Amino acid sequence: MTKLVEKTIIEIVSDVSGFDPDEISMDSNFFKDLEIDSIKAIEITVAIEKKFKINVRDEDVPKLTTVRQAVELVGKLLNQKSSKATIA
Amino acid sequence: MANIHANEYDVIIIGAGISGLVCGCYLAKAGMKVLISEQHFKPGGYCTSFKRKNFTFDAAAHCFGGYRKNGITRKIFEDLNINTRLKVIKSNPSNIMMTPDYNISFWDEIEQTGYELEKCFPHESKNIIKFFNFLTRSPASEFIRIRHMTFQDLLDLYFTDNKLKSLLSAPLLGIGGLPPALMSAFVGAKLYSEFLLDGGYHLTGGIQELPDTLAEAFQGSGGTLLLSSRVRKIKVKNKSVHGVIVGNNEFISSKYVISSCDAKQSFLELLDKEDVEKEFCANLNKMRPSISNFILYLGLDRNYRELPCRAATICFFSHYDLNKSYRAIQKADINSYGGYMMYIPDREPSVLAVIPAPYKNEEFWNENKEYFSSWFIKRIEETSIPHLSEHIIYKEAATPLTLFRYTLNYQGACFGWAATPSQLLVPGFKKNIEIEGLYLNGHWTTQGMGISSVAYVGAETAKLVLKKQKIRYT
Repeated sequence: MTKLVEKTIIEIVSDVSGFDPDEISMDSNFFKDLEIDSIKAIEITVAIEKKFKINVRDEDVPKLTTVRQAVELVGKLLNQKSSKATIA
Repeated sequence: MANIHANEYDVIIIGAGISGLVCGCYLAKAGMKVLISEQHFKPGGYCTSFKRKNFTFDAAAHCFGGYRKNGITRKIFEDLNINTRLKVIKSNPSNIMMTPDYNISFWDEIEQTGYELEKCFPHESKNIIKFFNFLTRSPASEFIRIRHMTFQDLLDLYFTDNKLKSLLSAPLLGIGGLPPALMSAFVGAKLYSEFLLDGGYHLTGGIQELPDTLAEAFQGSGGTLLLSSRVRKIKVKNKSVHGVIVGNNEFISSKYVISSCDAKQSFLELLDKEDVEKEFCANLNKMRPSISNFILYLGLDRNYRELPCRAATICFFSHYDLNKSYRAIQKADINSYGGYMMYIPDREPSVLAVIPAPYKNEEFWNENKEYFSSWFIKRIEETSIPHLSEHIIYKEAATPLTLFRYTLNYQGACFGWAATPSQLLVPGFKKNIEIEGLYLNGHWTTQGMGISSVAYVGAETAKLVLKKQKIRYT
């Protein structure tokens, strides 16, 4: 699951930034390494939200500076979503 | 015999608007073989000028923003070495917001603009400073928080005074086509930081100098610009672009096609039906375009004293209910709209005046064009230039149909898609996921509007292609 999330997020970041997936590592910093500006930051967030059908909350936004953080956050939100679905 | 490689390019760009030209310049400068095909007989898209009776009128866009040190437009002009070829002049104030109660100028010094607002709204003084700081000093990640908000939501976070909120939103109706309750907070914030708080840059001979200079730089780097050349089809082979068909069934091949024209035309007309995903088409058909404009061009007989602030963009509103204005414009009810935008260049006594207008058929505009013009002149006369009608020696107007005819933007839309939060940065627009080598460019990418934004999109699209080709860019 985490591997799939990781791959999908790297694909999204690659599409938005233009960097080849091979050039993007888990520790790549969006702003320092991948030339992400405000427009691209929103583009990545919106694409992640649509792809995984999740909602990134305001308090989670500061956690979105590296690919690893994005993968962890998406993993956490997906887990919450599936546990909610189980309860329902 | 013709050169067999004459009809082969690395990249074909459809449309020589600012995004297409900027994109072409970056790619050609990096050594790629690029063709730009433009249907009009001159480059520029919405950035063109035309001459009548010794007057030079800017057809639609008349000035740009983002030209401070490190500004988005300045950075691009510097990259392309056109900053030294253009004589850019900044008007100060760049914009003036007029209502029956207030007259607020937007100055070169942001603090001065803030001070003017604070004088009128002393109880909101601290909030004005905080708001301007947010717009101009926030790190990129801060804007993620406002991605789903409307500009009204954003204003509500900072202010309580409804008149101030309307006053801050009114210019956005003119330059972005939506009232605050519908406009994306991010787009509104960008229009502020890149246009209202850093705007009013114009060119001595009119806005046409910008596309002309870009076209010259593009050709100087080896690019080919075809004017009066309408692309009829984008050809796709095995899920990759293969080239385009222009004019009289002439095929030109390329590895990349960058469509700097409208999205509906690109995906629903230029591409064959079987090449575009059904779901993507269905989503495209649900999206709403931005509003069009009715533009009045007046040539005046002399510089008379009543002409208000030259070179500034004046935004007038007689009331503060912008939602009402927006509803009125959908019905082409100019009387209830209550506002207009106007620009008097410093080069000559002429007037460019604009109001939003809906797309209607030819019959409607044949019947109403003259009425709109007369109403507009009367309105300007009553509110900002007394005796205007006595001094007009040339008069012309552009309707949404005119804008469509010259630029082929869907329904004469002035700003691409309507900039609502749900139509912001929609995935799959900029780079098509299904078709390899196909990119959309300009204000239909859902990435922003206005000259600085489309120039940014043009540069970024070029960088995507260059990264893909592993070509270094500087």
